Amino acid sequence: MSTLELTSVSRWFGNVVAVNDVTMTIGPGVTGLLGPNGAGKSTLLAMMSGFLAPSSGTVTLDGKAVWRNPSIYRSIGLVPEAEAMFDAMTARDFVEANARLHGLPHAREAARAAIEEVDMTFAIDRRVSTFSKGMKQRIKMATALVHSPSVLLLDEPFNGMDPRQRMHLLDLLQRLGDEGRTVLFSSHILEEVEDIAGTIEVVVAGRQAASGDFRSIRRLMTERPHQYAIASSDNRALAAAIVADGTADAVSLTADGLVVHASNFGAFVHALPRLAIAKDIELLDVTPADESLESVFTYLVSR
Amino acid sequence: MSAPAPNTPNGVIHDIGFRHYDGPRLGRGWAFRSLLWETVRGAYGLGRPAKSRIMPWLLLSFFMVPALVIVIVAIVTGDDALAVSYTQYPLTVSLLVTLFAAGRAPYAVSRDLRNGVIPLYLSRPITRRDYVLAKFAGLSIAIFIFIAAPITLMMVGALLAKLSVADTVLGWLGGLLMGALLAALIAAITVTIAAFTKRRGLGVAAILTVLLIATGMAAIIVDTVGFHVSHTAGSYGALLEPYMLIDGIGASLLGVEAVNASVEPTNALGITVFIAWYFAVIGGALALLFARYKKVGGV
Amino acid sequence: MNTVVMRLAAQALLGRRRIWLLIGLAGLLLAVAALTRWGSGGNPATTATMMMNFGLGILLPIMCLLIGTGVIAPEIEDGSVVYLLAKPLRRSTIALSKLVVAHLIALIFTVVPVVLATLIAGDVGGELARAFAVTTALASVTYVSVFFAIAVLSSNPTIIGLLYAVLWEGSLAGYVPGVRTLSVRQWALAPAEAMLGGNAVVNVHSDVSIAVGIILIVAVVLASFAVAVRRLARLNVRVAD
Repeated sequence: MSTLELTSVSRWFGNVVAVNDVTMTIGPGVTGLLGPNGAGKSTLLAMMSGFLAPSSGTVTLDGKAVWRNPSIYRSIGLVPEAEAMFDAMTARDFVEANARLHGLPHAREAARAAIEEVDMTFAIDRRVSTFSKGMKQRIKMATALVHSPSVLLLDEPFNGMDPRQRMHLLDLLQRLGDEGRTVLFSSHILEEVEDIAGTIEVVVAGRQAASGDFRSIRRLMTERPHQYAIASSDNRALAAAIVADGTADAVSLTADGLVVHASNFGAFVHALPRLAIAKDIELLDVTPADESLESVFTYLVSR
Repeated sequence: MSAPAPNTPNGVIHDIGFRHYDGPRLGRGWAFRSLLWETVRGAYGLGRPAKSRIMPWLLLSFFMVPALVIVIVAIVTGDDALAVSYTQYPLTVSLLVTLFAAGRAPYAVSRDLRNGVIPLYLSRPITRRDYVLAKFAGLSIAIFIFIAAPITLMMVGALLAKLSVADTVLGWLGGLLMGALLAALIAAITVTIAAFTKRRGLGVAAILTVLLIATGMAAIIVDTVGFHVSHTAGSYGALLEPYMLIDGIGASLLGVEAVNASVEPTNALGITVFIAWYFAVIGGALALLFARYKKVGGV
Repeated sequence: MNTVVMRLAAQALLGRRRIWLLIGLAGLLLAVAALTRWGSGGNPATTATMMMNFGLGILLPIMCLLIGTGVIAPEIEDGSVVYLLAKPLRRSTIALSKLVVAHLIALIFTVVPVVLATLIAGDVGGELARAFAVTTALASVTYVSVFFAIAVLSSNPTIIGLLYAVLWEGSLAGYVPGVRTLSVRQWALAPAEAMLGGNAVVNVHSDVSIAVGIILIVAVVLASFAVAVRRLARLNVRVAD
């Protein structure tokens, strides 16, 4: 088990503050690092991977400092952004060289296994320079996995992948997270993060905007009323009853049913079945309409 | 733009304010001039982050220092001529011209090749030849400015030192003319070398290697052949090296004193060969560039 | 020292384009030597002058520049150095492994051609060749170390390296006396002067004594190594965009 801890970390470049007093703990499982462009995700990743020193605060892995400490790379696997690799080599040789640099005793076998894990065995003896962007991305993943690290740091790993490769990578990351490894990836694509990230960290303009499970974050967003989509046997009557009851802020009728906005969702959730029974209306479908990561993200970014 | 509603048989495109541009479009000439001007500015790091300004301006200031010294000496000693003439100056301190060109030529062409943006240029009104010519001309102008700066400083200093005005202005103009010839030649050579590699560092190294080795070797050849065969034969060694070539051409055409007397062509045949060779080198370089950029299409 | 790093460095240096450049330069030196012989009839004085000006003054720094920067600058430029840095290897190990490879290749590509060229151009019983072999070896090791450090510190190592090698060592050393004591070429020539001591025909002089020369060479080599390692440990590789 490995835990990355950032304590009051700030980083500034001259007058520009890229990361502003961020404290977070990244533990086992899959964590998504979200944020708009320029929010400081890249700077955070650089500090977590030991390639940039925090201007203040500390970044530690299981208590050991990450900066200027090459031995942590035994436990960290990094998928770098660099386009270029050792171009003249074949995939096998490249991953094997990385394995040897890690000091693995059975480098050749580890390389082969890592390449198989990212589904690149079919091109194992081809030169890396002939690969497409998605294939290069997968080889980068292989180099990050070859030493079985307990922490995996990935920057926008789904860039340039086709849907099949994406699904495969999602499965892979999910599996790694389930094994107890600490997987942190940054992304713009909310659907991906929603799918596999148990925890999210949202960074906006250098500050930490939210962290935790996104559904619980949604609960904390009390300024925005929750939205529900309700389908019932008699929508109009139900709408009238809800309005009369007063626990909802707004009710609108649509072709498919009702859309209800309720700031006090606790009271509304208790009131709804009571009203339905009282008016003898059958509830067919009750769905939270905005409990998506997108709405959470939009809210956090625009605050 | 919104997509048409799903169940309608005919598609609908909604007007959400997207407008065509119907105004006047500046044509190919404008695009060419912009690219040229952009190359010149880029060579001096203008319009780029501050870090890219250090090298060119540093080299320029190094280049101006000897000129300053010459001017001060002239003012102080009251000589009636500058120690080094306007035409001789860039050839004497040629190393800095080489360093400047070697640094800026890859900067002008390698990045576009590396990032595969040539197709972006070509989807505008300019053609491949326009691109090549714009880069070549842009770098020539940049190098010309580099050379003209210290020469102009010398001219101003000479006027301050009360040297003969007519001589000074004539000398200055002669220096500018030779500077222009030199700039075009150096630009042609360096851009061609730089365009054959995507890596900026390798381009710089290759240019420096070629130019410095050429200088060293040509000097040895001119001396050896000149001594053993004939003075005339030795002078042809100048064909191997841009600075010597310009030295020879300038000395015979403008009648100025050459930096290295051994490279001055001794007869009409020599002069013709030198001039023909000058145009052949530039023409050959451009031809190579056109051929190189013909293949550049995809990313 | 790490053999994988060494193998990768060797592959990078000896891979296609750079090696042809190195071989070409070596060949050029031999061609110039032949030309010199034709011109001077084998006069050792001419050989010495040619070697000092062209060989040591131009060719050697360029060769060392290509090798000293070529072993690390391309990787830093395109970011692939991250594959070396994100490993549990000490930065000093990485630097040392690369430097050893660079030094070995540099020695082969400088000392051998210099010796051959000297013999071709005209020598007295191999004396000049031996002297220049020592000079070249010492200068080569120093230049490669310095250029390696410059390549780690700057993104424009070739220009800076050449500004130093040709301007400092070449021109300024001619005009400003004090500079000569700080010139690598002078340090490396000191043993040559001692070896050729009595030979009045060849004009090989050095402004420093052997002791001073060797001490300064060792100091510069160690200092460049320390600087390079320190910078490598703090290198800001772009991890994410």
